[in-house]
Amino acid sequence: MNLFAVGISHHTASVEVREKMWLSEAEVRRALAELKQRYFSECVLVSTCNRTELYGIPSSGQPIDVSALAAFLIDFKNASSLVHPGHFCSEVSETAVHQLFRVASGIDSMVIGDIQILNQVKEAFSASREANAMGPIMNRLMQATLHVGKRVRSETMICEGAVSVSYAAVELASKIFADLARKSVLMIGAGETGELTLKHLVAKGISRIRIANRTREKAEALAAPLGGTVVEYAGMLEALTDADIVMTSVQNPTYIIGPEEIHKAMRLRLNSPLIIIDIGVPRNVDPATRRIGNVFLYDIDSLKTVVDKNLERRTAEIPSVNNILKQELDDFLKWYDALQVGPTIQELRELFEAIRQQEVDRNINRFTAEDRELVDLVTKRIINKLLHQPMTVLKEGTEGGNGQTETLWRIQAVRELFGITPRPKDTDDQG
Amino acid sequence: MFMESKVLVYALQIALPILYAGLVTLYALSFFWSVRAVDSVRIPALVGVIAAHLVYLVVRTLTFDHPPITSVFEIMTVLAVCIAIAYLYIEMRTRAITTGFFILLLALLFQTVSSLFIRDLVQIPDFLHSRVLGFHVSAALLGYTGISLAAVYGFLYLMLYHDIRSSRFGIIYNRLPNLETLETMSHRAEVFGFCALTVAIAVGVLWLPRVFKDFSYLDPKLVGTMAIWVLYAIGLAAKRKFGWQGRKMMIISIVAFGFVFFSMTVINLYMSGFHSFH
Repeated sequence: MNLFAVGISHHTASVEVREKMWLSEAEVRRALAELKQRYFSECVLVSTCNRTELYGIPSSGQPIDVSALAAFLIDFKNASSLVHPGHFCSEVSETAVHQLFRVASGIDSMVIGDIQILNQVKEAFSASREANAMGPIMNRLMQATLHVGKRVRSETMICEGAVSVSYAAVELASKIFADLARKSVLMIGAGETGELTLKHLVAKGISRIRIANRTREKAEALAAPLGGTVVEYAGMLEALTDADIVMTSVQNPTYIIGPEEIHKAMRLRLNSPLIIIDIGVPRNVDPATRRIGNVFLYDIDSLKTVVDKNLERRTAEIPSVNNILKQELDDFLKWYDALQVGPTIQELRELFEAIRQQEVDRNINRFTAEDRELVDLVTKRIINKLLHQPMTVLKEGTEGGNGQTETLWRIQAVRELFGITPRPKDTDDQG
Repeated sequence: MFMESKVLVYALQIALPILYAGLVTLYALSFFWSVRAVDSVRIPALVGVIAAHLVYLVVRTLTFDHPPITSVFEIMTVLAVCIAIAYLYIEMRTRAITTGFFILLLALLFQTVSSLFIRDLVQIPDFLHSRVLGFHVSAALLGYTGISLAAVYGFLYLMLYHDIRSSRFGIIYNRLPNLETLETMSHRAEVFGFCALTVAIAVGVLWLPRVFKDFSYLDPKLVGTMAIWVLYAIGLAAKRKFGWQGRKMMIISIVAFGFVFFSMTVINLYMSGFHSFH
C-alpha cells in the first residue's frame, strides 16, 4: 500500500516546536491544495496542539522522499529557525494506517484516552474534502478511522474517568449527587483550578453559582460569564447552609473553615450531604471536618489520587484497544487488497457466471437435448457482451495521476453496485 | 401423573439454586471484570430463570394442591422470585445494571435455603386455603421484598459512602450508581415494604384471632414483624421530622432486614409452621 504518514507529535517534539507547527483551518486547506498539486493524489492533514501529521497517497505512484515532505511543512510554517527534519517521524503503508488508527483511538495522545482527538480527526477529513483532497482510499480510510474511534469508545473504558484535577472534582460530585442541575455551588476564592472546576460544573448544568472572594472585583469578573452571583467574603459561612458543593482556594496560612462551622451548617441544612473541595495550598479546611457525617471533604491530594487511578485504568485498557485496531487494520487491508483491477474483473466474471449457471440449470429441462448446448453457448455470449464495456473501462487509465484515482473510484463503484465483498484473507492467500 | 410432576418439582428444586448461582456469576462477571460478552445474555438469562422459577411454583402448587405459602421455606422461594422480578423491573426501567449482582445474590440465598429445607406438604389444614390468608401472605411477601431491596441498596450505599469518604476509588466507586440514587432506591423500596407490611399486619391481627383459638399476640413472628414495623415507622418519621438521611437511614434498613431474616430463619427453627399457633 502506498500510504505515507509524516509528522511531529508530543513523542518527537517539544511544545514550542508543536506550537510553531500548528496549522489553523485556513492554513490546513491551503497546505492541502499545495500538497495535492505537488505530491499527492489524496491527502489529509491532522493538526492539533499535540501533533501535526500528514497522510497521503503519492500521485506518482512512486515512494516520496519523506525529508522533502518535512521540508515542505517547515517552509509552509516558516519555522526553519526552530524546527528541523529530525523532529519528524514517518510511517509507510500498513504502519501509516495503524498510526492514524492509534491517533483516533486516543492511545497515542498525551493523556491516554483523550476524548477530543476523534473530533479533531473528523474535522481534518472534512477539511480535506473541502480542499478537494479526498479520494477513494482516503474516503475509506476516513470511514475506517472513525469506526475505530467509535468502537474503542463503546467497547473499552479508555475514555472513562476524569484525568484532570478539576474534572475529578466534578466526577466526585457526580458520584454523590444524582442530578447536578438541582444543586448549588459556593466557591470561596478565585483560583485557576477552581475556575476550571466551575466551568465543568456549569457544563454539567449546575443551577446556582455563588462566589466569595476577598477582592470582590475578581469574584465579579469570574461570576459574570458563568451566570453566578457574588456573596460577601465575610458572609461565606452563612452561605454554607444552602450550598451542596463548596470549593475553597484561598491563600491563607490557617484554616478558614473548621468542624464547628460545618457542624452548625449541617444542623441548619438538616444534615443533607455536603461536598467540600479544598484546593487551597496550604489547605483551607480543617481535616477534622471529614469526621462529620454526610460531609465529603477532598483536598488536592485526594483529587490527584482519583486522577492517577483513572490513568492506571485507562492504561490497562490499551491491550483491548490494540485488539480492535488489529481487527480494523485487517479489514481495511482486505478492502485495499480487493481494490485491484485484476481481482475485481475476475470476481465480477465469477458472479455473472454463477448467475448464468444457476438460471441455465433451473431451466435446462425445458429444452431438448440438442438445444441444451446452444443455450449454454448463447448465455455465455450474452454475459461476455454485457461484461465487455465495464471491463474495458476498468482496465483503462491505470497509468498514474488522476487516471489511477478514477480507476479506484470505478472499482469501488462496481464492487458496491454488484455487491462484491472482499474475499477472506486466508482464501486470498491460498489463491 | 402425580409421580411425574413430583419428579419435575424435585428437579427444579435442585436446579433453581444452580440457575440462580449461574445468574449471579453472569452479573459478577459484568460488575467485577466488565466482561462485555455477558451484556447481551444477561436479561434473557434473568427472564429464563424467572420463567423456570414460575414453572416450579405452578407445578408445585398443582402437585401438592396448595400455593407455596404454608411454610417459611415455601415463602422463601416465592420471596426469591419476587426479588428477581422486582430486579428485572428495575433493570428494564432504569438500565442500572450494576446492582444486579448484589440483589440476585439475595434471591440466590433465599432459594438455596428454601431448596435445602422445603418439605412436601400434601395435607394442609383448611384455613390455609383461605383467601384472606392469601391476601395476608401476599402483602407480607411484598413487604419482605421491599425490605430486602431496601437493605441491599442500603448496604451498597454504605459501601460506597465508606469508599468515597476514605478516598478509596476502586471497583465499588467506579461501578455503583451515585449515593443519591442508591438512597432514593432504598427509600422507595422501604416505603413500599412498609406499606405492604402494614397491610399484612393489619389483616393478620384482625383475621388470625378468629381462625386460631390459641392465637397469641406474643407469637415470636408477630412480635418480630411488629418490631420491624416499629423500626421502620421510627425511621420514616425521623426522616420526615428531623431530616434523617443518608447513612442513618441505610443502617435502619439493614437492621430491619436483619430482623426479617432472623425471624424467618432462627425463630422458625423452633416452630413447625410459619407462626407458633399452627
